[in-house]
Amino acid sequence: MSFDLLILMMFAGAFLAYLISKSNSEAGGISTVVISLISLVLLLLGKSQVGNEFAILYMTFKVTTIGWYFSAVMILVYSMTSFFNSYWMKQMLYPNAYNFLYLFSLAGTVGLFFAADLVTLFIFWEMVVWSSTFIVPLGKSRRAAVVYYTISSIGSMATLYAIMLLHAKSGTFIISEAFAWLATDPTMATIVFFIFILAGLTKIGIFPFHIWLPLAHGSAPHTFSPVLSGGLVKMGAFIAYMSVGVLPAYQAFSGSLKIMGMPIQIYLLMVLGAISIVLGTLMAIKQDDAKKLIAYSSVANGGYILIGILMMDQLSCAGSLMHLFNHAIASAAAFLTIAVVAHRTGTTKISELGGMIHRMPVTFTVYLISIISLAGIPPMGGFVSKWLIIQGLADKGLLFMALAAFFGSIGSFLYVFRPLAAVFLGQLAPKNYELEGATLMMKIPMVILSALIIFFGVFPRYILEVIGEIQSSIGITPIQLEGNAIQAINGLLNSYHVFVIFGFGFLISLAIFMLLQKSRKVGLMDTFTSAEFIHTPELYHYSHDFYAPFERLYKNHPSVENFLVNIANKFDELGQMVNALFFSHKPSITVFWITVVTAIIYLGGARI
Amino acid sequence: MNLMNLIYAFGLLLFAFVLQTSITGINRKVIARLQRRRGPRWFQQFIDIFKALSKSSTSHGWIFDFGVVMALGGIMATAMFIPIGPLQALPGLDNIFIIAYVLAVGMLGMAMSASGSGNPWASIGVSRALTNMLAYDIPFMVVIFGLIFAYDTSSLSGFAAIQQEGGILGWNIIRFPLGGLVAMISLQGMLGKKPFDSFIAPAEIASGPMVEYGGRHLGMLFLLHEFQTFVEVSLIVHIFFGGGATVLEYVVKYALIYTFMNIVSNILPRFKIDQAVTFFYKVPLALAMIQSLLIIVTGLGVA
Amino acid sequence: MFNIVEDTQKTREDTRKTWEKIADYFRANSIWMKWYCTGCGAMEMPPTMTSRFDMEQLGMGPMATPRQADVLLITGYLSAKTLRRVIYSYEQMQDPKYVIGFGSCTLNGGIYFDSYATMTRLDHYIPVDLYIAGCMPRPEAIMNAFDTLIAMIKKGEAKGWKHYQDNYEWYNANQIHSLKEVRVKDEFHE
Repeated sequence: MSFDLLILMMFAGAFLAYLISKSNSEAGGISTVVISLISLVLLLLGKSQVGNEFAILYMTFKVTTIGWYFSAVMILVYSMTSFFNSYWMKQMLYPNAYNFLYLFSLAGTVGLFFAADLVTLFIFWEMVVWSSTFIVPLGKSRRAAVVYYTISSIGSMATLYAIMLLHAKSGTFIISEAFAWLATDPTMATIVFFIFILAGLTKIGIFPFHIWLPLAHGSAPHTFSPVLSGGLVKMGAFIAYMSVGVLPAYQAFSGSLKIMGMPIQIYLLMVLGAISIVLGTLMAIKQDDAKKLIAYSSVANGGYILIGILMMDQLSCAGSLMHLFNHAIASAAAFLTIAVVAHRTGTTKISELGGMIHRMPVTFTVYLISIISLAGIPPMGGFVSKWLIIQGLADKGLLFMALAAFFGSIGSFLYVFRPLAAVFLGQLAPKNYELEGATLMMKIPMVILSALIIFFGVFPRYILEVIGEIQSSIGITPIQLEGNAIQAINGLLNSYHVFVIFGFGFLISLAIFMLLQKSRKVGLMDTFTSAEFIHTPELYHYSHDFYAPFERLYKNHPSVENFLVNIANKFDELGQMVNALFFSHKPSITVFWITVVTAIIYLGGARI
Repeated sequence: MNLMNLIYAFGLLLFAFVLQTSITGINRKVIARLQRRRGPRWFQQFIDIFKALSKSSTSHGWIFDFGVVMALGGIMATAMFIPIGPLQALPGLDNIFIIAYVLAVGMLGMAMSASGSGNPWASIGVSRALTNMLAYDIPFMVVIFGLIFAYDTSSLSGFAAIQQEGGILGWNIIRFPLGGLVAMISLQGMLGKKPFDSFIAPAEIASGPMVEYGGRHLGMLFLLHEFQTFVEVSLIVHIFFGGGATVLEYVVKYALIYTFMNIVSNILPRFKIDQAVTFFYKVPLALAMIQSLLIIVTGLGVA
Repeated sequence: MFNIVEDTQKTREDTRKTWEKIADYFRANSIWMKWYCTGCGAMEMPPTMTSRFDMEQLGMGPMATPRQADVLLITGYLSAKTLRRVIYSYEQMQDPKYVIGFGSCTLNGGIYFDSYATMTRLDHYIPVDLYIAGCMPRPEAIMNAFDTLIAMIKKGEAKGWKHYQDNYEWYNANQIHSLKEVRVKDEFHE
C-alpha cells in the first residue's frame, strides 16, 4: 500500500474511531488498537517505498528513510499504548473525542515526517499540536494544557516565521531546495537555523522550554503520557535533525567562530542540551510523582538526543537516532507500568505506594527492564545508544557535554531506582493485599515493548543498519558494523558477546545459588528491626525524601519557572492597564482621555 | 568467541577470586599490625566466605533471591572482561564504558534485592550508595574521557600496551598526575572504603544494603565484593599503572595499590553522604576538569 | 532392591556428614558475633576486640545484624522486656547458631536474682551453648570461652540450635509462661 493511502486511511480511521466510540466507547478504544496496528504493519512492510514521491491535494510528500524511521517509532509507541485506551474510557469526559484525537495526532505525525515542502510540514505540525492540546486537559489539569499549548505555539510561530523568511529569500517551499540554498548565505543560515530549530527545542523540552513536559506528562491521561514522552517529544528531534542534517548547518557555519572544534551556533545549542541533561536529572531525583519523575527523565534524555543530533557525525548522530528509539520504547513502557499501578491503586505518588511486586510481578519486570534501558545499563538498548554518544563526544573532545552526559547517566541510576524501590519493592500496605495485577490486554503491549528493548540491546545492528542508511543519505560516514559488533574509531562494542558473557556469569551465579542449602521463606515484616516489634507495614517503608541528603544540596536552586511566571504576571498587568485605559466605562477615565486629547489639541493644534 | 573463551574466562575468574581474596586476607593482617594486633590468618577471608555459604538462609521473596543471583552474575561477567596482565580471555570486550556499566548491573541487582527485603535500612543504604556513586564516578569518568581523547582507544589492554612502551615514565600516573590523583580518590569511593563508606555504616544503619542477608545470600555478597574490588582496582592498574607485561608484575602492582588504599582508609574518619558529594564536586572534579582540559586543549603529557 | 535404596540413603547420610565436618571446620574458624548489650558485660567486649586481646586472631568479628551473625552474646541480666528482644533476635539468626551467656546474671540472676522483673535462667528460654562465670567475666575469661566454643564446634558439640528446633514446644511454653506474649503488639499498655 502506498503511503498516501496509508495517511488517508489513518485520518479515516480517526473518524471511524469517533463514530464507533459514539455508540460504545470501549469498542472505540479497541478500534484505536486495530487501526494503529494495521498502520504499523503497513508502514513496516512499506520500507521499500523509500524515495517515492506523492501528493495529496496540493500537499507534497517524499518517503525518506529518516521519515520512515521516525514514523515507525511513532506508530509503534502509539499502537502499544492504544491497548490501554479501553480501560480508561470511563474516566474520560469525552471518550469519543479522545479516541478521535488519538488517531488524528498519529496520522498528523506520519504526514509530518513524510512532508516534502515546508507548508505541508507546518500544516501537519499544527494538526498534531492542536489534537494533542485537546487530549492533555482530559486528564487532571487544565493549566497543563495551557502551558503545553503556549510553549508549543512559541515553536509553531517560530517555524512559520522561518518558513516565510526562507520562502521570501530562496523563493521555494520545497524543503531540500530551500535548505540547500542556505549553504551559500551563512548569516541567513544562522537566523533560519535558530528560528527553525526553536520548534524542535520546544517539543523536545530543552531548557528553558522544558517546563511543559512535567506538567503535561504528569497530568495528561495515563494512556496519553506514554505517547507524549515516547512519541510526540520525538517530533522535536525530527525538527532538530532537519535543521542540522537537511539544512547543511556545518557547511553553512564553516566560517564561523569555533569553540572546541564546533561552530559557535551549534555549540550554543549543545550547551542548552547539556543544561537539560543536568537539570532533568536533578529535578527527576527529587520528584515524588512517578509520572513527573519519568517526565523529567525525558527532559534529560532529550538533552542526549539533541547533543547527538547536533554532532552530525558517524558515532554520536547514530547513537542519538538510536537513543530516540530506545528512549521512546523504554519510557513508554515505564509510563505504561505506572499507568497499571495508577489504574489499580488510583495514585501515582511514590510515597503512597509500596510492595507492588507482590501483587503485579509482570508489571514490575517490565518496569525493571525499561529502567535498565533508561539508565543505559547493558544488555538493554539504552546502553548501546548512550555508549555511541559518549564515544562520539570523546572522539571530538567535547568535555563539558561529556560531563553532563556522565552526570545524566549516573544520575539516572538514582531516579529510576526510586520508583523501583519505593513503588514496587519494600513493604506492601495491608489495604493493597488483595490488589489485582495487570490484565492480559495490558500485559501484551508491556511484554512486547520489553522484548523489543532486550532484542535491540542484544542485536543493535538491525536498527543501526537503518541508521547507517540515514547517515549515508545526508552524506556522513555511516556507522560501521561487523556482524553484531559496532566498530567505533575509539572502541569496539559487541553487545551480543556482552549479553552472552552476562548470561554465562548469571548461570555460574545461579549454579552457586542452587547448589547451596535451600532458604526458608519469611514474610516482609520479619526483618531486622533492631529487635523492636513493628506491626504497621506502611510506616516501615522508606519512600519519603529518598535522596534527602543529596536533595538538600540543591534545594535552593534558581528556577526558570519563577522567571516565566513573573513574565506572565507582568504581561497580565500590561493587559490590565490597557484594559483600564481603553476599555473602561469609568467616568474618571473618560475625563482623563478628554483632558489628554484637549491638551494635545491645545499644545499642537496648529500643527495638526 | 567460542566455548574455549568461556572456559578460559572461567579460569581467569577463579584466579581473580583467589588473588583478591588472598589479598583481602593479607590486608586484614596488615591492618591488624598497624593497630598492633596479631590479626587473623591470611586465608581468613576464604574461611569466612565458605562459612557463610555453608549456613542456612532466609528469603524475602523471589526478587530477594533473583537480585543476589543477578548481582553476582553481573559482577562475575564484568570480572571476566578484565585482562590479567597479558592474559585475556575475551579480547575486544575490555572497553572501559562496558566495564563501568556492566558493573552497574551488579550494583542494580544488589540494590534491588536489598530493597526487596522490605527493610528500610536497606533502602537507606542503597540511596546512600547511589548518591555516593553519583559523586565518585563523575570525576573518574571525566579523567577517563580525557585519556580516551588522547589515545583514541577505550580498551584496557590498549591503555596498558601504550603505557608499557614508555617504561615507568610512560605510566599515566606519571604523565597525568592530576588525573591519577583523582582516579585514586575515586577508587577509594568505588571500593566503599573510608572516608566514603557511609552507606554500610554498621552501627548507624545496620550495614545498610546488607542488613537482611545471611547464609548463602551473604556468602554470595562476599564473593561479589571480592570480584567488585578486583574489577575496580584492575581498572586503575590498567589505566594508570601500565597494566602488567607479566602476570607477576600485574599481581605485584595490584597488591601494592590495594594495600595502599586500605592503609589510607584505616587512618581516616567517615564523611557524611552530603559531605562526600560536596567534596567530590569541589576538589576531584575540578582537578579532573583541569586535567582533561589540559589534555584536550594543549595535549600536555600525551606521547 | 531395597538394599540399593538403603545403600544410597546411607551414602547420602555419609556425604552429608562429611560435608558437615568440612563445614564445621569453617564454622569453627570464622565466628561472627552479635552481642546483645543488656548489661555491664558489653563493657568487656571492646578490650577483647581491640589490640590487647585481639579476638580477630581467632577469626571472630562483630556483625551488624542477627541475620549475619553466628553467635549471640547475652552480656548481662535480662528483664521481661529485653528477653522478648533476645528471643526475636535469636530466631532471626541463621542455623547453625550459638549462644553464650555472660556472667552470673544469665546463669542465675546474679545480684538481681530476687528482682520481680529479671529472668533468672536464660537457658529456659533459648538454648545456651556456653556460660561464662564471673561478675563480669574479664577479657581473659571471654577469650578462654571463645576457645572452648571453637573446640565445641569442631567436635560438633555446639548443637543448641538443633536442641531448640527439636524441643521448640518446651522452650515456647517457658517463654509464654514468663512473658505471656513474645511478639507484643503494644507493650506500653500491657
